[in-house]
Amino acid sequence: MRSQSVYKVPNGKLLKIFLEYDKKNDRIREIRITGDFFAYPEESIEQMENALKNTIVEHEQLLDKIRSIITEYNIQFIGVDAEGLTHGILMCKP
Amino acid sequence: MNEQWRLLQTGANSAYANMAIDKAMLVANSEGKVPPTVRLYGWVPPAISIGYFQSLVEEIDVVACKNFGVDYVRRITGGGAVFHDKELTYSIVISESHPKMPVNIMKSYGLICGAIINGLNHLGIKSEYAPINDIVTGGKKISGNAQTRKFGTVLQHGTIIMDVDVDLMFSLLKVPSEKIKDKLIKDVKQRVTSIKHILGKELNFDDVAFAMKQGFEQEFDVELIEGSLTKEEMVLAKKFEKDFSSKDWNHKR
Repeated sequence: MRSQSVYKVPNGKLLKIFLEYDKKNDRIREIRITGDFFAYPEESIEQMENALKNTIVEHEQLLDKIRSIITEYNIQFIGVDAEGLTHGILMCKP
Repeated sequence: MNEQWRLLQTGANSAYANMAIDKAMLVANSEGKVPPTVRLYGWVPPAISIGYFQSLVEEIDVVACKNFGVDYVRRITGGGAVFHDKELTYSIVISESHPKMPVNIMKSYGLICGAIINGLNHLGIKSEYAPINDIVTGGKKISGNAQTRKFGTVLQHGTIIMDVDVDLMFSLLKVPSEKIKDKLIKDVKQRVTSIKHILGKELNFDDVAFAMKQGFEQEFDVELIEGSLTKEEMVLAKKFEKDFSSKDWNHKR
């Protein structure tokens, strides 16, 4: 199932997420995290998109996974954070 | 004696050349081959740049750009879509370990934006830094900025809006629906301003450039010495220009 969301992070930037997930088990097949935020290093966003594959679209699991990716790749976000990303992804689910 | 940095006035170039020169400066500085550098430049033809993380087709009406002769390019920096037309753009490259550069990214935004605020002050415009990455005057945006850090060097570039055609800008950018387009245009007209609008007259590029040079010298307590790109930077820039004009790069997200 393909869907997308637009989410203005409170006190942050505009997040636009494109998500393809398996409707049977709610797992992410493909995700694209776009928007006018900042992330350092920039290329880490592609690593995050890859690492999110197979994650279940559910609040706790997403938040944990995103936090662990941020730590693993030493990513610094400005204008969005783990909660914002989680919220944006969950908004893709009807 | 004050520390001497390099000033580059590269005139107006294409979007691809502009982004390529900034990247070439970044690489040269990171290899210790050039001193901290401030560059002042313009855009011909006009162009839209989008932030590294943005989706090109979501942000830009590619057909409208072609019709209006407006180029488009993806930046290596994050942030939003910018229509570069009547403006002065600056860029600065400086080592992350330079004593004058804060390690903290937000602090370094504030510091570099301070140079632009000084420059605007020289033009008689009072402005302030509005985190994350804007400079505002009377609550309206007059400058947008974006920073990256690669190979141990900080690159920040930003725009100083001299005049703005919001209607044209919105024919080039994608809007969620035609229905809300008028409202968006109205909102942006209320949120964005320009030197021309504030001062009630047009200034020429060189006057704005001179003010910005002074603004940087004051903020960093340095002397900016007019110089040129090194041969190596020019070679690099030529190479990067190809990348920045490629579909692979611009449509990568």
